[in-house]
Amino acid sequence: MKAQKTAAILRVEDLTKRYGSGTAEVAAVKGVSLEVAPGEVVLIMGPSGSGKTTLLSMLGALLRPSEGSIQLNGTVLTALSERDLPRFRLREFGFIFQDFNLLSALSALENVVLVAEMAGVPRKEARLRATEILKELRLDKRLQALPEQLSGGEKQRVAIARALINNPSLILADEPTANLDSSTGHEVSRLLRHIAKEQGKSVLIVSHDTRIQDIADRVLWLEDGEFKEARTLAIDPVCGMSVERTKSPTATWQGQEYFFCSKGCRSEFLLEPHTFIQGEA
Amino acid sequence: MLNLAWRNLAQNRIRLLISAGGVGLALTLVLSLDAVVNGVEHQLAAYIERSGAEVWVAQQGVRNLHMVASTLPAGAAEQVAVVKGVASVTPLLYTTQSVQMGRDSRLSYVFGLPLNARAGGPWKVVEGKALPAPGEAVVDSQQAKDSRVKLGGSIRVFGRRFKVVGFSQGGSSLTNSVTFISSEDFARLRRTGSNPSFLLVKVQPGTSPQIVASRIQRQVAKVSALSSTEFAQQERKVVKDMGADAINLMNLVAFLIGLSVLALTVYTATLSRRAEFGVLKAIGADTGQLVTTVLAQALYSVVLGLLLAGVFSFLVLPLLLPWLGFNLPLQPTLASVLKVSLIALGIGGLAAIIPVIQIAGLDPAIVFRGGGR
Amino acid sequence: MSLAARYLLQNKTRLALSLLGVALALMLILLLDGLVRGMQRQITVYLANTPGSVVATQVGVRNLAADNSLLPPGTEDDIQKIPGVARAIPVLSQSVFFELHDRKIFAYLIGYDPAKGGGPWRLAQGREPRQGREVVVDQTLARLHGIKVGQTVEVGGYRFPVVGLSAGTNSWMTTLVFVRKVELERYLLIPGLTSFVLVEPQPGVSPQILKERINQLSGVTAWLKPELMAADLRIYEGFFQPLRLMRGIAFLVGVLVVGLVIYTATVERQREYGVLKAIGAGNARMYGLVLSQALVMAFLGALLAVLLAYLVAWLIMVLRPQFLVVLEPSAILLALLSGLGMALLSAIAPVWVVARLAPAEVFRR
Ligand SMILES: Nc1ncnc2c1ncn2[C@@H]1O[C@H](COP(=O)(O)OP(=O)(O)O)[C@@H](O)[C@H]1O
Ligand SMILES: [Mg+2]
Repeated sequence: MKAQKTAAILRVEDLTKRYGSGTAEVAAVKGVSLEVAPGEVVLIMGPSGSGKTTLLSMLGALLRPSEGSIQLNGTVLTALSERDLPRFRLREFGFIFQDFNLLSALSALENVVLVAEMAGVPRKEARLRATEILKELRLDKRLQALPEQLSGGEKQRVAIARALINNPSLILADEPTANLDSSTGHEVSRLLRHIAKEQGKSVLIVSHDTRIQDIADRVLWLEDGEFKEARTLAIDPVCGMSVERTKSPTATWQGQEYFFCSKGCRSEFLLEPHTFIQGEA
Repeated sequence: MLNLAWRNLAQNRIRLLISAGGVGLALTLVLSLDAVVNGVEHQLAAYIERSGAEVWVAQQGVRNLHMVASTLPAGAAEQVAVVKGVASVTPLLYTTQSVQMGRDSRLSYVFGLPLNARAGGPWKVVEGKALPAPGEAVVDSQQAKDSRVKLGGSIRVFGRRFKVVGFSQGGSSLTNSVTFISSEDFARLRRTGSNPSFLLVKVQPGTSPQIVASRIQRQVAKVSALSSTEFAQQERKVVKDMGADAINLMNLVAFLIGLSVLALTVYTATLSRRAEFGVLKAIGADTGQLVTTVLAQALYSVVLGLLLAGVFSFLVLPLLLPWLGFNLPLQPTLASVLKVSLIALGIGGLAAIIPVIQIAGLDPAIVFRGGGR
Repeated sequence: MSLAARYLLQNKTRLALSLLGVALALMLILLLDGLVRGMQRQITVYLANTPGSVVATQVGVRNLAADNSLLPPGTEDDIQKIPGVARAIPVLSQSVFFELHDRKIFAYLIGYDPAKGGGPWRLAQGREPRQGREVVVDQTLARLHGIKVGQTVEVGGYRFPVVGLSAGTNSWMTTLVFVRKVELERYLLIPGLTSFVLVEPQPGVSPQILKERINQLSGVTAWLKPELMAADLRIYEGFFQPLRLMRGIAFLVGVLVVGLVIYTATVERQREYGVLKAIGAGNARMYGLVLSQALVMAFLGALLAVLLAYLVAWLIMVLRPQFLVVLEPSAILLALLSGLGMALLSAIAPVWVVARLAPAEVFRR
């Protein structure tokens, strides 16, 4: 972690989120601090229930932290009023979701145009800008298509165009590749890196997908609401997911220990171990 | 956002059409009833307005034609004739009777006219002559056609046979037709004596009917004198009063039906897009923009419904009704159209309330929780 | 619970809104129908409530509502002598305008002989006329115009003392006023005048046969009561047309409301229906699923509509006593049948959606 304090675009200090109160209180995120530099791609990983969604929601100004502060480009998010938040989100963040979340009634182009119009860009200019961005994302032939007529990769590229249209400084992506096949997923993650490096936008991704590690400048491991030392992960030989060594079901075969994402994968493995590890055997 | 509202609605055209159709038909209930009542008002007042008289003189207290009996005191005609400004006086005998034509019987206004009537005769004679001599009758052409009675054929009034010598048009209404016979026959058969029911007064050129009417009122005892305009107005009021309850009930019921249909549509359209509205909120739409969208959805549907209602009421029904055997006068008024537009707006606004509350309260953080999916 | 019911119950707000819409449309149908029936009943109220199953009128008369029937003097005696006649009740009727303090009221004066019958069938207050010009007027009319027993009403300068109030003799356009027949004859200056005769057959004698026997008399036409009532109703057919039109439109509204609900529900569950189809549900079963939702909606709507209709009818009659809304048990049948019609018609669009559904859709995201 290099010191880039002066240039940091996102600065998070001692962020805590508690749900409920009294005995039912749950701290989903505990005193997290983080800085992200312009053009940096940060990947946050962690087991389910570790607080990733909660953290991402707070960073995206969708959820108010219980304690701590978030600064984006020098603006203290936590100090903004409820009324100002939507406009801030509109201009400063680009959101990318696991299931694309395009508006089903609008065409690819309109989905992007709408967001620019919401930010006050005149329709004509919005259309020009949207068309250009979609072209760059190789969607020029699909401008008029409805979401249901697009493939998963195309949908996610439309979503990326939508995230970029208002020229935000930070892109927040939640499992952007989870609903895509592996080659499309790869393409989308390379695209995200490309955007970070070419346009100097910071990209913060929450994902289980280990392939994203390749494109990330930094990988953070969230566990029990806190960043832990990023540890070496094991790969589930059955499904290929990255899993944490300490918490996953294990099995030993031919003297070697294997780690699994679930009991299901483990029992599948135990039925015919050799089919999953031919190369090593 | 307005475009989004329209696209959201138009995405499922059939649903949009069904719901706008539902709202439209509900509004049609109001529009068409108004038009019928107004049409009947005009039908009933048509005879008064077209009678050629400028002042109507009736028995004291009688202020219209429909379902009334009027008998003027003896000598009234002579007294009216000498009132200043009166040009001519035509005595008219009148009652409501069933008239037999062919195999049908129909309720009819029966008028007894003197041979030299200056007013009160059929104003649009399409065949034959206008003023019946004793033993003759002028009848409504449509009714004659329906009953297959030709010129020279016969009808029965007061139990006696009359020869049809003329066909008139435009005097009939939903409730009754009109029949003209000679005063002589009328007085003899009705046994009411020769005292007229009404006096139809023409005024001298340049004289105001109002002023002549009030002069008659002052100078002649035991009569009511009204200008034709006012007399016609009173006639319309009878129908209006009779129709008022029905119209009020229909306004209310149609409003409620329209409301439930539209509320259903807007509610469903919004609910099924909760997730999308959440996304919009997350990426930065403010509540005002979302509320605008929901309201616009309601408004677009309502305007479409209103257009459909207009098409149903003023294009489809007039073509369809005669074919279905209805014989209803549909005469829309601007006031009724305005009223229905207001009702429609009310429906639109109210229908959007529940969805607006839902959308306003939507937590944008659901986007990361797969919420609403 | 069936799948159809579960689907409907899934969203309560929506179910409530749709039921309201359907119920209102059906209620409107019931009310309009009840109003037409009420008006019809009012038109025929006299014939329906007086004794006798055959009526003798002047020959050539087509109805009693608008035609003047005048029988030659002595006709009732001729009828009484016909074998099979138990009772011949002469009635003289005349339409008049009562002059009340504020306005003229159109009324049928019924002249009857209290010893023979044909008078008011239900007295709410007071007694039948015994002497002089005593009259019985309707209690609703009396209430609306502040007439009390002991007061007098006026027709053409004649004063009639009110001795009783009758029930069920008022209508939206006219009212019945009962007076002794001899007194009405005197008023009309024609002694022995009779408009029509109500004839009661002896036990075991069919009205039809009696009618044929009475028709033998010259100057007389005999009717079975229902025939004459139908003839009277035809005269007022025009009054019912607007109500019939509204009823037709209300039915279409109902079709669209049920249609909207079922169509929306179907489109939303397209995927689920696709799954059902994929795992082997035949088209018939799918149609059944859609149709049964429509039927349940219409059925519940019909029940609600009946309740609403009774409530609103009661309100109308309290606020506007001159109107009679007749809701018979057959109204429930009408609601159910209209609902059934709505359900069947409304299922067209959704069934079409389901029929088009390709089972393979399930495998697409
Ligand atoms: N709205 C909430 N109310 C109460 N507890 C919550 C809420 N959202 C999340 N949590 C809890 O906070 C913890 C972190 O959840 P989350 O941020 O969704 O984790 P992740 O996204 O890593 O799976 C979990 O224990 C979860 O049960
Ligand atoms: Mg999560």
